[in-house]
Amino acid sequence: MTIGVVDACFIIDWSRYKRRDRISNLFDIIYIHEEVMDQIRSIRAVEFTAQLMRLGVLRIYPWSRIEEEEFTRLRNEVLSNSRIPALERPDLLCLIIARTLEAVLISENIGVHRVVQYHPEYMHLRVWTALEVLENLVYRGAISVNSTDEFLDILKEYEEDTLHKFRSDRVNSVLRRMREWLGS
Amino acid sequence: MKKPVPSEELLEEWAREDEEARRIRRESADWEFIEKQEPKVREALIYLIERGDRYVAAKIACLTVDEFDEIRIRAKIPVVL
Repeated sequence: MTIGVVDACFIIDWSRYKRRDRISNLFDIIYIHEEVMDQIRSIRAVEFTAQLMRLGVLRIYPWSRIEEEEFTRLRNEVLSNSRIPALERPDLLCLIIARTLEAVLISENIGVHRVVQYHPEYMHLRVWTALEVLENLVYRGAISVNSTDEFLDILKEYEEDTLHKFRSDRVNSVLRRMREWLGS
Repeated sequence: MKKPVPSEELLEEWAREDEEARRIRRESADWEFIEKQEPKVREALIYLIERGDRYVAAKIACLTVDEFDEIRIRAKIPVVL
């Protein structure tokens, strides 16, 4: 079973994407914290969120007191060093839920991606942006491509729909993996 | 217990990534649109260009991330990841 955890920015951005419905092919359950839900206000994003909830794919995470204690501990660690990128409460909530469930965290927040680059207790987490979601939708057969050029067209479509720009080094890493997958 | 900290090498890598992302946001932004906004929104958009943090930028504008994102799109500021 593939479990995901989403942050607000991802849901807001992904709801703009013309192939947004495909995400239900990738995850059995996606959890969202109710404080993250509070950030979602536009009709487009609310409709998309409600649609995923009706399908039973998106669920509100039942946050606990023990996790609140972990939030306080992690927050104090992150706040104590000015060289660590700022992380707000919703970002930390997502990290903690993903660690608890061993879920894929889908986040568009750069600070979240950086925590897993150095924090020993969070380094094992898989953190994806829309780029890796699109990549894995291809592997799952939910988006069909026959070449890396076709995948680049898919990326371009996403970048235009959501006004995103993926860094070339990250795109190249995905293209290397996809080339191997296409060749296999 | 010692708190985990990123290595110097990682901090330098992040600084390079941040500078590149900032450059892309500055070059893509519609500055004419930004200058026409009310002060709170204008400052929030400039913060977003400089720091790339949508949550804090939305707070500066006194909006939710979702509400602020509509303005981000109109200001042509890309999310660089």
